[in-house]
Amino acid sequence: MALTRSQADEEAQGAPGHGAQAPRPGAARFATDAAGLGVGRAAAFVAPALILIAIFLVFPALWVILLGLSNYSLTGAAAANPEFVGLDYFAKALTDGRFGNSTWLTFQFVLGSAVIGQAVLGFILAKVLHGRIKRLVEGLVILAWILPSAVVSFLWVALLDRDSGTLNALLGIPGFAWLIDHPMLSIIIFNTWRGTAFSMMLYGAALGNVPPSHLESARLAGANAWQQLRDVIFPHIRGHILTNLLLISLWTFNDFSPFLLTAGGPDGKSEVLAVFVYKVALFGGELGYGAAVSTVILLINLVVAVFYLRMLRKR
Amino acid sequence: MTRFVLGRIGFYTFVAVVLAFFSVPLLWLLTAPFTDTPTYRVKIPDFTVANFAAMWEHPYALGSLGNSLILAIGTAVIVVALAALAAYALSRVRMPGRDALLYTLLLLSSIITGTAAMVPLFQLAVTVGLIDSQFGLILIMTGGLLPAAIFMLKDFMDSTPKSYEESARVFGASPLQIVRHVVVPLVRPGLATIAVWAVANVWGNFLMPYLLLSDVEKQPAAVIMYTLYTEGGQANLRLLSTFGLLYSIPVVLMYLFVSKKYGFRFHGGIKA
Amino acid sequence: MIELKSLTKVYPGGVKALDALDLEIRDGEFFALLGPSGCGKTTLLRTIAGLETATSGQVVIGSKDVTHVQPGARDVAMVFQDYALFPHMDVTDNISYPLRIKKVAKPARTAKAAEVGARLGLEGLMDRRPGQLSGGQQQRVALARVMATQAQAFLFDEPLSNLDARLRLEARTFLKKLQRELGVTTVFVTHDQAEALAMADRMAVMEAGHIRQIGTPAEVFQRPANTFVAGFIGSTPMNLLDGTVRGETLEVAGCKVPAPAAGLRDGEKIVYGVRPEYVTYSVEPVDGSIAGKVVLSESLGASHLVTLEAAGETVQVIVPEGDEPALGDEGYAVPRTDRALIYRDGELV
Repeated sequence: MALTRSQADEEAQGAPGHGAQAPRPGAARFATDAAGLGVGRAAAFVAPALILIAIFLVFPALWVILLGLSNYSLTGAAAANPEFVGLDYFAKALTDGRFGNSTWLTFQFVLGSAVIGQAVLGFILAKVLHGRIKRLVEGLVILAWILPSAVVSFLWVALLDRDSGTLNALLGIPGFAWLIDHPMLSIIIFNTWRGTAFSMMLYGAALGNVPPSHLESARLAGANAWQQLRDVIFPHIRGHILTNLLLISLWTFNDFSPFLLTAGGPDGKSEVLAVFVYKVALFGGELGYGAAVSTVILLINLVVAVFYLRMLRKR
Repeated sequence: MTRFVLGRIGFYTFVAVVLAFFSVPLLWLLTAPFTDTPTYRVKIPDFTVANFAAMWEHPYALGSLGNSLILAIGTAVIVVALAALAAYALSRVRMPGRDALLYTLLLLSSIITGTAAMVPLFQLAVTVGLIDSQFGLILIMTGGLLPAAIFMLKDFMDSTPKSYEESARVFGASPLQIVRHVVVPLVRPGLATIAVWAVANVWGNFLMPYLLLSDVEKQPAAVIMYTLYTEGGQANLRLLSTFGLLYSIPVVLMYLFVSKKYGFRFHGGIKA
Repeated sequence: MIELKSLTKVYPGGVKALDALDLEIRDGEFFALLGPSGCGKTTLLRTIAGLETATSGQVVIGSKDVTHVQPGARDVAMVFQDYALFPHMDVTDNISYPLRIKKVAKPARTAKAAEVGARLGLEGLMDRRPGQLSGGQQQRVALARVMATQAQAFLFDEPLSNLDARLRLEARTFLKKLQRELGVTTVFVTHDQAEALAMADRMAVMEAGHIRQIGTPAEVFQRPANTFVAGFIGSTPMNLLDGTVRGETLEVAGCKVPAPAAGLRDGEKIVYGVRPEYVTYSVEPVDGSIAGKVVLSESLGASHLVTLEAAGETVQVIVPEGDEPALGDEGYAVPRTDRALIYRDGELV
C-alpha cells in the first residue's frame, strides 16, 4: 500500500507535464483518448508513415502533373533540356485517337471484369455457398488471387494457347485464337478469375453482419428471394458494396497485368490505359506525353472515386 | 418438388462450372513441371524431377527467390510497423480532417502504384541514388502499400473495444505500455492479415522491380519469370513451369498458415 | 474519501453531461450512482477515474486534488461494464497486471494473484483465458484484478448488468459482503433502483446531469426529495395525485384525506404522494380514504398490485394474496398518513 501511494504521488506531480495539449484554464491538461496518447504522441505515431507516403506517393503524383507540362523525353534534345510546353500534351492526349481508344477499352475492362465480373460473381459465391463446397470453392478462388501475376498470366497464356491450350481442347475447337480474335474478352475473363476473391471475402464479411432476425421477419412477411435481397440485404451492405466497387474499379483501372497476356495487342485492341502509358513513356520514351496521360488517368480516377464517395454519403 | 429438384440441379451445375473455371487454369502449373518436355498441353505428368535439376543450375533462378524474400519481408515489416502505429493513433485520437486524409491517401495509392507514377518514381530513384537498390525499392513499395494498410488496420482497431485500454490506463500503464501489452496482442490477427497482404503484393509485383532494379543479381522472381518467358524468343517451358511452381509455393504456404491460425478474412469488414 | 466540487462536464458539441455537481463520498462507503440512461452517472464515474476530464470544478480523492492527474496516478481501480479482461492473458496474468505495471517481481505478483484469486473462489481457473470462463467467473476475475491493486477507491460501472437474472441476485449479495470485508471506498453505477437500494450504504439519484437526491436507501425510498425520485425509486412507482389544500385536509381525487404535513396554505395546489406499499384496500368506506373502481389487478406473487380509478386519477394499492378484489368492484384506498408526502412544485414539503 505504501509503495502504491508514494508512486502515485510522484506520478501525480509529473502528470500535468505529460499532457500534450497546452494547459488552458478549465481545459483538459492530459489526453482523454482511451490510451492517454494525446495529440502530440498521436502525431508522432502517424508521422513516419506519412513521411514515406509523402515522398513515395504524394511527391510522384505532383511530379507527374509537372512533367505533363514539359516535353521531357528519354532521348534526344528534350532529354537534356526539357522545355515547358504547357497544356499542349493534354490537348494532344484528348485528340489522340489511340488515347480515346484506350480509354474506351479501359472502361469496358473495368465494367466487364470488376463491376460485373468480380463483384457479381463474388457476391453470388459469398451468398449461395455453404459448408464443404464453400471451403473448396473459396480455396480455389483465393488461390487465383494470391498467386503471383507473372505466374497466373503465363498460366492463362498456356490455357488460351491456340493449338494446344486446355480451353480449346475442352471446347473441342483447336486453332481458335482467343488472344488474337477476342483480346478484350480474354483479359476481362482473366481479370474476373484473378480478382473475384477480394469481393467474395468482403461480401462474406458483410453478409455475416446482416441480422438474421431481419431476414426472418422478411420471410415471415412472405418476401421472395429477390425481395429479401432488395429490401433487407442490399440496404444493410450498401456501404460494403460501394467500398468494394470503389476499390476494385480503381485497381482494375490501373492494372498492368493485361500487358503480360496480350501486350496490348493485336493492333492496340486490348491496349488499356495502363498499358498505353507504359508504351508511350518507356517504349516510346516520350516521358512528358506519358506524364500528361498519367495525369488524365489520375483525374478520371478522381472522378470515379468522388462518384462512389458521393453515393456512399447519400444514405 | 420438381422445382426443388431443378433448383438443386441448377445449383450443382453452377458449382461445377465455378469449380472448373477456377481450377482448369491451374492444372498446367501442377502437371508441366513434372513432364519431360512440357508443351502448353495439360497431360498426365511423367513424374520426373529433371526440370527441377535443370532449374537448380540456372544462374539466377534460386537467387531471385531469395531476393523476392528479402523484398517481401522487408516491405511487410515496415508496412506493418508503420501502419499499426498510424492506424492506432488515427483510430483513437480525434484529429481534424482524419477521414478526408485517409480517403485521399487511399485514392492516391490505388492510382499511383500502377503505371501512372512509373516515370516520376524512376526519376526520383535515380536522383536520390535509390536506383538498383533493394532497400530503395522496399521504401518505394512501402509508400505505395501504406495507405491501404492504414485504412484496413484502422477499421480493425475501430472495432476493438476501448475499455481494454482504459482499464490498463486506470491501472497506471503508460501509453506505450498499453500499446505493447494490450493493443498489439489484441489486433494481432489484423496485423497478420496486413503482413500477408503486403507479402503477397510484393511477391507478385513485377513492374516496380522491373523498372528500378537493373542488376540481374538483385532482381526478384517476378522479373526472372518474365525473363524466362521472353529471352531467346522462345519460352523455355521446362524452366518456366518449374520456376513458376517454386515461385508460387511460398505464398500458398503462407496463405494456408495464416488461414489456419487466424482465419483469413476481413475482420469486422471494410466499411464506410 | 472522494469529493466532487461543482464538477461540470460539457462534451464537444455543447451537451452538458454534468452540471456543477457537488458530492462527498465517505471513507469505506459503498456508494451508488443511480439514474436512467443518459443521466450522466457513467460520465461522473469516468470523470472520477480520470477517463474524462472535467470542464470545470474539482475532483478530490483522499486529500489530494486529482482534477488534472492522469487516471493511472489517481490511486483508484475500476471494473468496466464488459469487465475488460485482456483476452490474450490468462486469469493469473489478468489479476496481476496492475502489479506488473508497478514493476512488482513476477513471483511476488503470481503469489498475490493466487491469494486474491483463492479469496474469490477462482482456484483451478488461474490458467484459463477469459474466453473460457462463465460470466460470473469473469466478473470475479475483474473484481480480483481490482483488489490486487490495493487502490484507495474502487469504481464499478454497472458491475452486474452482464449477468443473467439469477446470477445477478447472487452476485449482489456477494459484492456487498466483499465490500464490507475489504472496507474500501467503492462507487458503483447502476440504472437498476432495486440494485442500488439493496447494495448501497448511500446513493445519489441523478437526472440530466444533476443530482436529485443523496441519502441512504431508506431515506430515498421513504422520503423521495422530489417527484422525479419518487417516480424512479421503488419496484412500483409512487402514486402521485394532484390535490388541493382544504384547511387541515387535502382534496385528492374527489375525496378528503388528512394532510401529512403542516404549513400548507389553504387552497394551494399540491401533489399528494404515497407508495402503493403504504396504501391498504378496504371494501367498506373508511375516513380519509379514496373511493374508486378496480380496473386492473396484477399478481406480484405473494401480493397483488391493484389499480383503482378514482375521479379520473389512478391509485395503485398493494393487496395481500387472497384479499384481492374482482375487476369492477367499488373499493377504497386507505393511505398511511405517516408515509404520505406532499410535493409543492415537484419538491418535497
